Amino acid sequence: MLTLAIPSKGRLKDNCNAWFNAAGATLEQTSGGRGYRATLGGVPEVEVMLLSASEIASSLLAGDIHMGITGEDLLREEAPELAGRMHLLKPLGFGFADVVVAVSQAWVDVSTMSDLDDICAAFVHTRRRRLRVATKYAQLTRRFFAEARISDYRIVPSSGATEGAPAAGTAEVIVDITTTGATLRDNGLKILEDGVILKSQAQLAASLTADWDDDARIGARALLSKLDPASPLYAGLAAQLR
Amino acid sequence: MVAFPYYDADALNALNAQASVILDLFAARGYVREEPSVLQPADIFLDRSGEEIRRRTFTLTDLSGRDIALRPDLTIPICQRVVESRRKLPARICYNGLVFRHQPGEPNRPTQFFQAGVELLGVEDRTAAEKEVLSLAIAAIQAAGVEDFSLRIGDLALFGALVDALALPKQWRWRLKRHFWRPGYVESLLYWLGHGDSSAKLPGTRTEIEALIDTQGDAPLAGRTREEIIARTQERAAEAASLKLDVRVADAIARLLDISGPARDALARIRSLLKTANITLDDELAAMERRLDALHELGIDSSQVQFTAHFGRNMEYYTGFVFELWARDREGPVQVAGGGRYDTLLETLGAKGPVPAIGCAIRTERVLAAKGAR
Repeated sequence: MLTLAIPSKGRLKDNCNAWFNAAGATLEQTSGGRGYRATLGGVPEVEVMLLSASEIASSLLAGDIHMGITGEDLLREEAPELAGRMHLLKPLGFGFADVVVAVSQAWVDVSTMSDLDDICAAFVHTRRRRLRVATKYAQLTRRFFAEARISDYRIVPSSGATEGAPAAGTAEVIVDITTTGATLRDNGLKILEDGVILKSQAQLAASLTADWDDDARIGARALLSKLDPASPLYAGLAAQLR
Repeated sequence: MVAFPYYDADALNALNAQASVILDLFAARGYVREEPSVLQPADIFLDRSGEEIRRRTFTLTDLSGRDIALRPDLTIPICQRVVESRRKLPARICYNGLVFRHQPGEPNRPTQFFQAGVELLGVEDRTAAEKEVLSLAIAAIQAAGVEDFSLRIGDLALFGALVDALALPKQWRWRLKRHFWRPGYVESLLYWLGHGDSSAKLPGTRTEIEALIDTQGDAPLAGRTREEIIARTQERAAEAASLKLDVRVADAIARLLDISGPARDALARIRSLLKTANITLDDELAAMERRLDALHELGIDSSQVQFTAHFGRNMEYYTGFVFELWARDREGPVQVAGGGRYDTLLETLGAKGPVPAIGCAIRTERVLAAKGAR
C-alpha cells in the first residue's frame, strides 16, 4: 500500500479534491465528512490520509508517509536541505503564496535587504540588542538572511498573527506568508523589494526516507500515471529511490 | 569524528595530562583560571552574538519558561563577568572546559569539545598584548607536543582603515566594513557603489520626509524613533546625490581583498597597491610588521606565516588582528588554535567604553590527534 496524505481542511483540501476529480480519481472519505481516511476512485493501491498541512510536511520528512500534498513553504521550512530526504514531484498550480520579509511602511528609508542590514547594524549599535524578526519560518529566514549577509538579528518564534508583531512591539520586522499583500498592508507593513524568500504553491511530494517496498512502488506507479499520464513522474521518483 | 564523543580511560588520561601541561603554562605566565557554568542564560548568546553563533547554540527552556543555552563559547560569559563585577584591568584569565555546538548539515562533527584558552583584557599596548597571546598559543601547542604547525593571520582593522581612507558616505563605509569577512559580497557592494540604489528616490528635506512618513497612516514605528527614520532618510538622500567611487580605487580594494600568501610578500603587495590608489595606511601596516617581527622573535619564520586579506573569523565579535594555528592529523590539515582581537565585545556587554581585548582558544582534542599523527 502507498500512503498519500492530503490536507484535511480549508482551501488546500478543496483544491486537492478538484485536482483529483479533474484527473478522474474521485476522493471518497471513508467515514463521512469528518473521517481522516479516504480512498481514490480507480487507484485501489493507495491509502489516503487527511492530515494538517504542517503535519504532512513533518510526516514526509520523518518517512511516516510515502507521498503528500502540502505547501512548498512548509516543506522547505521543515527540511532546508531537501536532497536525499524529499523529492518534489509536481507543482500543482494552486495554493499560491509568497514567503516575504516585511517592515513597517513608516520606515520610509527602508526598501531593500541592504537597507535592512543597515538598520540591523544601527540597532545593535544604539540599542545594544539585536533587531527581532518574528516568524514561523525560522529556517527559511536564517537561510535568506545569511544569503543577504545579514547577521545582526534575532528570530522570535511566532505561531500566529505574525503581522501584528511590529505594532505590538514584540518584533521589529516579520517574515510571513502572503497571497495578495492585503493583510500586510492593513497592518501598516510593506514587502521589501528584494524580500521575497520563496514563491510557494502546493506540491505533490514524495518522502525518500519512507519504506518503499514493492507494494508502495506499485501504488506510486499507478497513482502517478493516473494523475499525470503525460509526464514520466514515476521514473523521476524511482531514480531518486535507488 | 563522531557527533557524541565517548571518552574512555586512555582518552581521559591523555586529555587531563595535556590540560595540566597547558594550564600550568598559562598559570606560569600570570593567567588565573576561571570557569562559567555550562548552562547559561540564553540571552547573552542570542543578543550579543550574531545569528551564526545562535544557529549553532543548543538552547532549551526550563520548566519555568526561562531560555537557557549550553555555552557555545567561554569568552562571552567570562567577559560578561569581568564587566559586571567591575574587575580591575588589565585582567589575565584562562580556562579549560567543554563547549557545545550544533553542527548544521554536518551530522558527524562533534557536538561538544574541549577548549583551553586565555583572555587578555584591558592592555592598552596592543603590540605587547598581541605578542603575549600569540606567544602563549604557540607555546601551548609546542608544550602539548606539536612542533610542526603553520600560522594564518589577518587583520580586520586593515580593511577598516582602508575603507575609512575612502571618500565615501558613512553608511557605505560601515557597510563595507561589516561585510569585509565575506568574500564575494564586498565586490557586489562595490558594484552598487557605481550604480546607485533605490535611495535616489528619497526626498531630502525634513518637511518632505515628515510629510512622507505622515502619509503612511498609523503604520507602527516598529522599534525605531521618528527622528531616527528622518535622520537616516536625510543621510540616504544626501549620499545618493554624492555616491561615486573612483573606479581605480574600487579596483584597488577588490585586488587588496584578493591578496593571500606568505606574509612578508603579501605586505609588500599591499604597500604597492595602496601606492597606486594613493592611500596611506602606515599605522596598520606597521602593526602587521611588528607582529611578524614578534613572530620571528618567537622562533617562527615568516615563511610559516600565511597572510590572507579577507581572513576573518565567523565568530562575529573579532575586530582586528586574527590568527589561526594549523597542524596535521591523520586525515589532513586541522585548525588547532585560533584567536584574535575583540575590542568592542566588552562595551556591548555593558562596559563604559571600548576595552582592548584579545584572546585565543586551543582545540585540545585536535592537538592530541595532531600529536598522535606524527
